[in-house]
Amino acid sequence: MARVPRGNNWLREHATGTWLILLVLFVASVPLLPFGNNYVIAIVVRALLFIALGQAWNVIAGIGGQMSLGHGVFFGIGAYATGLLFNDLGLTPWIGAWAAAVLAAFVALIIGIITFRLRGIYFALATVVISLAFEKLSRYYSAFTGGDTGLAIHFRGTAPAVMQWREPQAFLWITLVVVVVYFLITRWLLKGDFGLSLQAVRDDEEAAASAGVNVYRTKILAFLLSAVMTSLAGTLYLQFYSSIDPGSAFGLSQAIQIQLPALIGGLATAGGPVIGGVIMIVLSEVTNIVSGKMDWPGVDVLAYGLVLLFIVFKAPQGVIGLITSRRPPRKAPDSMATKGVQ
Amino acid sequence: MTASTSDVVLEVDGLHRQFGGLTALRDVSFSVRRQEVVGLIGPNGAGKSTMFEVISGNISPSSGRVEFYGEDITSIPPYRRRRSGLCRTFQKIRLFNALTVEQNIAVAAQQCVADGRWKEEVVSVLEKLRLTAQAKKFPHEITLPDRKKVEIGRAIAGHCRLLMLDESLSGLTRDEADEIVEEILALNRAGLTIIVVEHVMPVVMAMAQRLIVLQHGSLIADGPPAQVAADPVVIEAYLGGKHRPAP
Repeated sequence: MARVPRGNNWLREHATGTWLILLVLFVASVPLLPFGNNYVIAIVVRALLFIALGQAWNVIAGIGGQMSLGHGVFFGIGAYATGLLFNDLGLTPWIGAWAAAVLAAFVALIIGIITFRLRGIYFALATVVISLAFEKLSRYYSAFTGGDTGLAIHFRGTAPAVMQWREPQAFLWITLVVVVVYFLITRWLLKGDFGLSLQAVRDDEEAAASAGVNVYRTKILAFLLSAVMTSLAGTLYLQFYSSIDPGSAFGLSQAIQIQLPALIGGLATAGGPVIGGVIMIVLSEVTNIVSGKMDWPGVDVLAYGLVLLFIVFKAPQGVIGLITSRRPPRKAPDSMATKGVQ
Repeated sequence: MTASTSDVVLEVDGLHRQFGGLTALRDVSFSVRRQEVVGLIGPNGAGKSTMFEVISGNISPSSGRVEFYGEDITSIPPYRRRRSGLCRTFQKIRLFNALTVEQNIAVAAQQCVADGRWKEEVVSVLEKLRLTAQAKKFPHEITLPDRKKVEIGRAIAGHCRLLMLDESLSGLTRDEADEIVEEILALNRAGLTIIVVEHVMPVVMAMAQRLIVLQHGSLIADGPPAQVAADPVVIEAYLGGKHRPAP
């Protein structure tokens, strides 16, 4: 399992902001580029969705140290609840997304109350079981969820009031805003009061409690935040792709996909999921092209596996950890003592 | 020795802890008074660590009660004991490795400083323990004595009325241990009540005003260091002998 980077992380402190600015500039310029057609824009939206999901998972797994393997539950709730509210009740996804997020938070509360008494691998296993249970339920109650064939939203063409567009460009801006907001949330968690407690819980629960931290409450709150963030990304996924099925919502492969950006880029860093998401999509597209041209079906899956193996053996702290371990800090940030308290 | 009830910081009454067939604590009772330095000693397996865990709330007693400033805290969770001023370090240093020295202390200060002025408290603790120069460093970048001091700093940050130190001197050279002892005694002179578990006996004898001796989970002696050191039961417990507690 990837580890949390430690040490004098100049890149963690400063350069991740630079990475984000570069990403924003790149994404904003995509429609203006000569090759910026709808296909390329759709790839960038897909990358941003992965980044957002990775950022959401990073909150509880990277910063909070709780290795949830069941985040597909919240992703699926975001997608299914928004879609059902729109299809059956006509509720616009702009509102439905928040209703779904509240539902995801409620489910996270129930799961958290049950599973946060467990630690380590037992917690991870419990979240997998819950995720698979949701997959089975969504297949079983087919009259409600569409069963194995899944749920398709009623498409109205370009209708901004219901978050629908024929062209992918609007989703580019929406997902970009979400990624930037999630990035800022991550930065706040890494530097803010609550995040400090959360990181203490991640490093040593007993020591955190002996420092006065309410460990159980801290984990639950982080889990709720992560669930809401995942659910909102699930809503965007549904609106962008117009359909969802049980496997792609609650399945184990989706749960793994959610984890990859943070694992590849670097757990517990603001920039990790951003870098990891970009690497994932570039890798996916390149291997897709290669497998298509060379007639190598399955090479993309093989490439994913090789990248993960490389990370486990060579970069357990992700790409950011790999870079920071080889780069001395440029300047240590001022301490409370030297800059004076505020 | 007599003391008024208001002087009693910690009261341990009939603590018993059973782990399956093993009795780790056997009906132990003692009290600690304000601004005392009490040494909790005993051979390996005597029950010192279990006593620490029960007092700090990580292990529940099978029976008996713990009172802190007259309040029954037996069933109160560890984080609430800490916020009420019952503070501890660990036998094996357990710092938050991904956080800097000042962040380690800030975690406790945020939780335990009531008026929100926790940043001032962090600065104060860093200065008090002479850790200001290490503030932005990570635990793996500082020396063992400094890591011990950081753990003490995290323990005392904010509202601390009783500090329990679990083998804070282990692994240190004599000079390093002397420095830490001086820091601990300075905290005591400033008003803090302290319980120390320590194997370095000369240091404990020099630091503690009172020694409590455990053996096989039972309290076998409680008194001034000179008196306890001369107690034949204690000598037997350390050197081996006929004395065994009743089953």
